Amino acid sequence: MTLPVQRTNGVRAWLETTGGIVALLILVQFVTGVLLAFYYVPSVDHAHTTVSYIEKVVSSGAWLRSLHHYGSQWLTVFVFLHVIRLFFSRAYDSNRIQWIVGILLLGLVMAASGTGYSLPWDARAYFSTRIAEGLMAGLPLVGRMARLWLLGGNDVSTITLSRFFALHVLVIPAFVIAVVVWRVYGANLAEVFGPRHAIAGGVAFLLLALWSLKYRAPLGPSVVAMDADYLPRPGAQFLWLYQSLKYLPGGLGSLAGVALPGVVLLILVLLPWLKQQRLIGGSILGAGVVLVLAMTVASYVSDRYDPNTWRQLSRQTAQEEAWRREPFTPATIALAATRPGNNTGGPPDMYTKFCASCHGPNGEGGRQGRLTFPPLLDVAAKPRRSVDDVIALLKDPTAYGLQPPMRSFSNKLTEVQMREIGEWVVKLKR
Amino acid sequence: MPMNEMTSMDHENSRRSFLKIIPIGILAGVLASIGGAAFRFLRPRLSAATGSWLDVALVSELTGPQPVGRKVVAEHIAGWAITTEAHNVFVLPAKNNQVLSAICPHEGCEVSWDQNTNRFACPCHESYFAADGARISGPSPRGLDPLPVRVQDGKLQVQYVTKEPAIRA
Repeated sequence: MTLPVQRTNGVRAWLETTGGIVALLILVQFVTGVLLAFYYVPSVDHAHTTVSYIEKVVSSGAWLRSLHHYGSQWLTVFVFLHVIRLFFSRAYDSNRIQWIVGILLLGLVMAASGTGYSLPWDARAYFSTRIAEGLMAGLPLVGRMARLWLLGGNDVSTITLSRFFALHVLVIPAFVIAVVVWRVYGANLAEVFGPRHAIAGGVAFLLLALWSLKYRAPLGPSVVAMDADYLPRPGAQFLWLYQSLKYLPGGLGSLAGVALPGVVLLILVLLPWLKQQRLIGGSILGAGVVLVLAMTVASYVSDRYDPNTWRQLSRQTAQEEAWRREPFTPATIALAATRPGNNTGGPPDMYTKFCASCHGPNGEGGRQGRLTFPPLLDVAAKPRRSVDDVIALLKDPTAYGLQPPMRSFSNKLTEVQMREIGEWVVKLKR
Repeated sequence: MPMNEMTSMDHENSRRSFLKIIPIGILAGVLASIGGAAFRFLRPRLSAATGSWLDVALVSELTGPQPVGRKVVAEHIAGWAITTEAHNVFVLPAKNNQVLSAICPHEGCEVSWDQNTNRFACPCHESYFAADGARISGPSPRGLDPLPVRVQDGKLQVQYVTKEPAIRA
């Protein structure tokens, strides 16, 4: 039995541990992501509250969220370095699976970061979702459909957030697992995660853990509380795209932000079967490094040296720090039977039996296909809607100008039951 | 010479097993440090009952031998949310306005008052309770639980307390 071939040449051997760092950072993303899901709720009315709760109330919540947030940025960087390292060791010839897995991981990690950025539903998340929408919409031919499918409707809504959540926590991780299994299956464990890999990964994790103790993951104001002059900035791994979009006219942005990366990743995946590999791969990776570095620096410089921008960004940082010092404010969830203003106890049984199927269990109104049924909240504020009017209306709706399907209940309800319903309905408030 | 070979082989073996321990040890270290945080992160948060007094009814309208069913709306602090929820209670005018929780002490279903048989019936497992809340038959370990009450400004008020299943059983 022989030890797997490991280059003993010191520096070179350590440079080849990028795969170990990537493996460990992926593990950290999975573990912290699962933990965050124990509190997070993917809905526009609760996402920001639950993330605030993780940040402010839950023990270790801020650290675990920082690990996940900054871990995603470090992971992107190390997957990129890993791909460059694989290129230099000509893995596209010697170990095609390793090469393809590296490229696929790069795409998946970017997709995971992009979808994850929307989840806290703070101001940044909102704009990032809008930008994803715009990038999709600008695609040639498929743009309109791509946008509708991404949003799940005409506009950014709570359905959109659910879609980003499902992609982020179910679909993309499933692909990551598949890709990692493909890489590990049949491979020598020492080759995939040997002692050097482990040490490099361990050091990377230690640094990330310390970094996350010192720096908290950003959380902007909730979309509802956002100022009009709020300046959103993307995560570090997307600064290059953010800055590039400034220089490109609308339609080209979609090509540069979605189509171009897609084509580039496809070419890199196919590199093992292409000719002129060193030329093609080298130019793509070289141009990528230059573009990412230049644009990232440019975005920092343009923010730092524009006085107005810098003042606003500093103000936002100060606001965020002030917000962190405030105590957590819980959301109030009124269960259906206890809507605010309904202090009458639940609806009468006869209301639930005959009226609720159309007007809602608590008079909130409803819809069946093309039919909409008016809400009964605040109905007493309308003319001719006293308790006696409601009783008369239940007997003869047409006398009150109501259309079918509202019908007479005179042979279904007793006078007492109608009065009970009437007295309850007129107290309903929005 | 053989001696020498043996020792170098032993040395090589221990070096190999040591090299295997490194990845396992580092993985264990990473998972343990996150695991410690995860334990604190996931630990259930117990919130003391809000203990506020909730209006049940005007004392003047509570008369007669029959239990009177009412709803009270209680606030529960649950993590990031305050939920308000309606609960059924029964006032016993015949028993000095004692208030009973409608929660069956067996498995937590809500009992209802049956006027015809003059008893409370649990719809889930057929526990029955007398008009004063005492257990008649069925799997319930005891009668219906009374709630703390007081009278304030002519209004009967109650503190809605839920019991954990372990205590309930």
